[in-house]
Amino acid sequence: MWRLLATLFAIALAASACGGSDSSDDSSASSSSSDAEETEVTLAASGESLLDTIKSRGTVNCGVSGSAVAFSELQADGSMAGFDADYCRVVAAAILGDANKVNFVSLTAAERFTAVQTGDVDLLMRNTTWTQSRDSEVGMDFGPTTYYDGQQLMGRESDGFSGSSQVSDVGGSVICTSAGTTTEKNIADAASEAGVSIELQTFEDFDTVVNNFISGACDIITTDGSGLVGRKAKQQPDGENWVIFPATPISKEPLGPTYGQNDSAFSDAVNWAVYATIIADEKGVNSSNVDSMLTGGDTETIRLLGGEGELQSGMGLPADAFYQVIKQVGNYDEIYSRSLNPVGLSREGSANAAWTAGGLVYAPPAR
Amino acid sequence: MSDSGQVSADREFQEGMEEETASPHEVPSLPMGQWLRKNLFSNWANGILTLLGALAALVALRGVLNFVFSENRQWDAVRTNLRALMTLSYPESQYIRVWVALGFIVGLAGLSAGIWANWGGVSVKRISTWLMGTGAFLAVCVIAREPSVIIGTDGKVVRTVEGSPQRESFMDAMVDRSSWWIAAVLLLAVGAGLWSRFSGPVRRRVEVPVTSVVCVGLGLAVLSLWIAPYGHYAFISATKSYVAESGRTVAFSTKLPWTVMWILLCGFFLVGRSFQRSRYLGLIKGSSNLLWLISPLTLFWVVLRDPALDYGHVISTDLPMGLAFGLLGGALLWGLTRTGIGEAGRITATLLLGFAVFNWVAAFFGWYPMLQKARISFLLLALAALLAPNFIGELAKRRQLVLGWIGVTALVHYLATMINTPSTVELQSTEFLGGLGLTLFVALIVVLLSFPLGVLLALGRTSKFPIFRMLSTSYIEVIRGVPLISVLIFFSVMVPLFLPDGMELAELAAVLTGYTLFSAAYLAENVRGGLQSITKGQYEAADAIGLTSAQRTGFIVLPQALTVSIPQLVGQVISTFKETSLLAIIGLFDFLRVANSVIPAQSEFMGVKREGILLVAMIYFFFNFTISKYSQRLERRVGLGER
Repeated sequence: MWRLLATLFAIALAASACGGSDSSDDSSASSSSSDAEETEVTLAASGESLLDTIKSRGTVNCGVSGSAVAFSELQADGSMAGFDADYCRVVAAAILGDANKVNFVSLTAAERFTAVQTGDVDLLMRNTTWTQSRDSEVGMDFGPTTYYDGQQLMGRESDGFSGSSQVSDVGGSVICTSAGTTTEKNIADAASEAGVSIELQTFEDFDTVVNNFISGACDIITTDGSGLVGRKAKQQPDGENWVIFPATPISKEPLGPTYGQNDSAFSDAVNWAVYATIIADEKGVNSSNVDSMLTGGDTETIRLLGGEGELQSGMGLPADAFYQVIKQVGNYDEIYSRSLNPVGLSREGSANAAWTAGGLVYAPPAR
Repeated sequence: MSDSGQVSADREFQEGMEEETASPHEVPSLPMGQWLRKNLFSNWANGILTLLGALAALVALRGVLNFVFSENRQWDAVRTNLRALMTLSYPESQYIRVWVALGFIVGLAGLSAGIWANWGGVSVKRISTWLMGTGAFLAVCVIAREPSVIIGTDGKVVRTVEGSPQRESFMDAMVDRSSWWIAAVLLLAVGAGLWSRFSGPVRRRVEVPVTSVVCVGLGLAVLSLWIAPYGHYAFISATKSYVAESGRTVAFSTKLPWTVMWILLCGFFLVGRSFQRSRYLGLIKGSSNLLWLISPLTLFWVVLRDPALDYGHVISTDLPMGLAFGLLGGALLWGLTRTGIGEAGRITATLLLGFAVFNWVAAFFGWYPMLQKARISFLLLALAALLAPNFIGELAKRRQLVLGWIGVTALVHYLATMINTPSTVELQSTEFLGGLGLTLFVALIVVLLSFPLGVLLALGRTSKFPIFRMLSTSYIEVIRGVPLISVLIFFSVMVPLFLPDGMELAELAAVLTGYTLFSAAYLAENVRGGLQSITKGQYEAADAIGLTSAQRTGFIVLPQALTVSIPQLVGQVISTFKETSLLAIIGLFDFLRVANSVIPAQSEFMGVKREGILLVAMIYFFFNFTISKYSQRLERRVGLGER
């Protein structure tokens, strides 16, 4: 009898394990949810925005890397932290008024664009470089650049390299990088342009690359400058001095929010949420003084924070959307220093300084 | 009733056990010198091999120790990330749920160990050799590891002019490791003491139960949590900061639950053992088996997920539907098991099956709406109706079928309701389960579900009916011809595209389904190997005493076939457990992925990877070695390999 029961039960379990994850419990829910899906598709086709979908859903599905040091990293408690993660929170705070209403989805480089196209995620904050082909062929749209990165090289001072070294100085070296990325192609192009021959070795991931650099199997490693600075800050053994060069990176890697194309309402909301953090930084508004700035700031600040003459309602956002962004997440400088300063990336003197300080971080005016 | 068969089988089994313990295979033990000469140095070639082997082992041991205790290792990365490795994003405030779930499993394991097995004993002499061996090993380890580097007053490694780190002298190192020396000497002394008392011709037979040894061993481990300064390491979510305090005992929130776990394990073992003489042993065994089947799903969907039940919906829809299926289905089955129902019964069952299958087809094309639960229930009812002819006749048998049906209906409806209710646990990311929790959950569910499926497939493949044979064979061959990764990718990426509108399959459910189907095909082949070892005489004997084919399979063939295939089945379980690490490829965070790519990506522990992977390897080894050891014991008990 028990055997029979067990068999029956096992079948039942199998059935309910398959059927149970059907999100629709009963017929009415089933039909309504399929209705919803159909409506969503048709509305999207007729120009209805992701903005409304997010509002009715109540969370922002944000695609991040999940294993990019200082940009999006999983903490010991499973929460997502970092520069990209904070910009996901910026979007959630702007659209939903709550920075915590983010559903982080960790995506590999290979699956990120598919995830946007299938609607698994609303946007990518996944150090994705803005390129012409991605903007056109791949069918993505790109928001304002939040971080200006560029590929650089790192060598040992004891090998004769210095901060002023050039690609032409690396002839004959073993250069290592991770496999299957554009960094591989960039360095090969740069070397042939400089007329030097290099031995290029690739490894599965950048941790392995760095370990090979430490053990001496690689003379030089190359990837985006942000990654190199972090590695130098954390992994340089004492007694050694690693140097990063050339001062002008060999590639341009502008990183920022990425989303499906032709959804103006949603892209405006994302773009202006990002601009709001930059303008706030410019105006000296931060998470601790935002309340007093709400009344005491200049007219543009007051407009931006939802005071008289605000423009957010017209965009389909709550009037206080950007107030919530600054209050809950902070301005550009706060977001930057929170995540990137600890790994040795400083804004000063880099392309990520404010335009008033000689950098490239610039936002159009809020009026 | 099958229970009687069960009990008699058990009795035979226990008698077998007693026989075995009564006349153990006595191997006279040799004095140490003779043993060495006989086994390790029997001639000069063997002597050289022994020495070379010992040297190689020593070099490997030294390498491992130097690696583990190197000043370059950042074990803090692993220690502060233990939570991520265990459950990843499950919120700390809800951790009590994890402990309740674990406690339930641990208690159930203790209970089952108590009621099921005669675990036998282990001689004190054997324990004494273990203790001495451990002590000696510890001493060798302490000596083998190279002296530590010297840390200067500035907290940095002191280096020589050439830049290599300076190491303390050998004597200083030995003094530094005095606590390890004390432990080694203590183990050796206790072992030697026991040895001298219990190695005599009579006393060497003195045994203590294996279970008490395990209980005491685990108890000592738990006790050490309260005494030994393992250090306190944590990640504070509120402030996003790491805590690393060495030199104190682990956090209260760690040692208290583990103590409770130990009490549950040993307490329930005693409770279980007290049931061994109970009149209701059969019932208790059955219930514990059923609990093993139900608890993983219940613990996951009810305890861990904490579903937010909508009572209005429950009362208006779920409850009436469950009752209707239970009672009306029960009445139908009661009718179908009437004596003299004849062909009408079969026709009804077939019609019912046709209707049930049609419902699924209709759902696929969306012809008419129907509750998912109703579809499942109709299918189950049809299967029960097909089984009904086996229960025709006595009142007791009919009652069993009906009660069994009502029980299964209640369970299925309960679980389906719970599964469909959204969770109230607030997560930081999409991963509800991650880390070791995910690995264990997937392995457990896959093993539980693929086992019955695999047995059915094996029976189908050896069946006399060509259609069953063909279907099973082609299923097994197709699945076995495809790598697990492609099955997993297919189920996570492709299947959602084929599902009808409005139906979603959660990533985890997709994976569980795919993995179960995969594992079942391999299991089926293992079981088929066992089935083929059953001689024709067994079938003929079963037929001769008038068993039906179901009874023959259930009572004669399968028990023998499964016994024979224990080694392969255990191998399958172990490989299922290990291959859960492939889940990382389709985006789930199993604990290998946490160690391999989550921890090295934290700014605090950038690039720290080997430590985590070493720990993961050790945990895998611990589980698999335990399973393997248990299966060896099982094989010995059922006398496998001795026929």
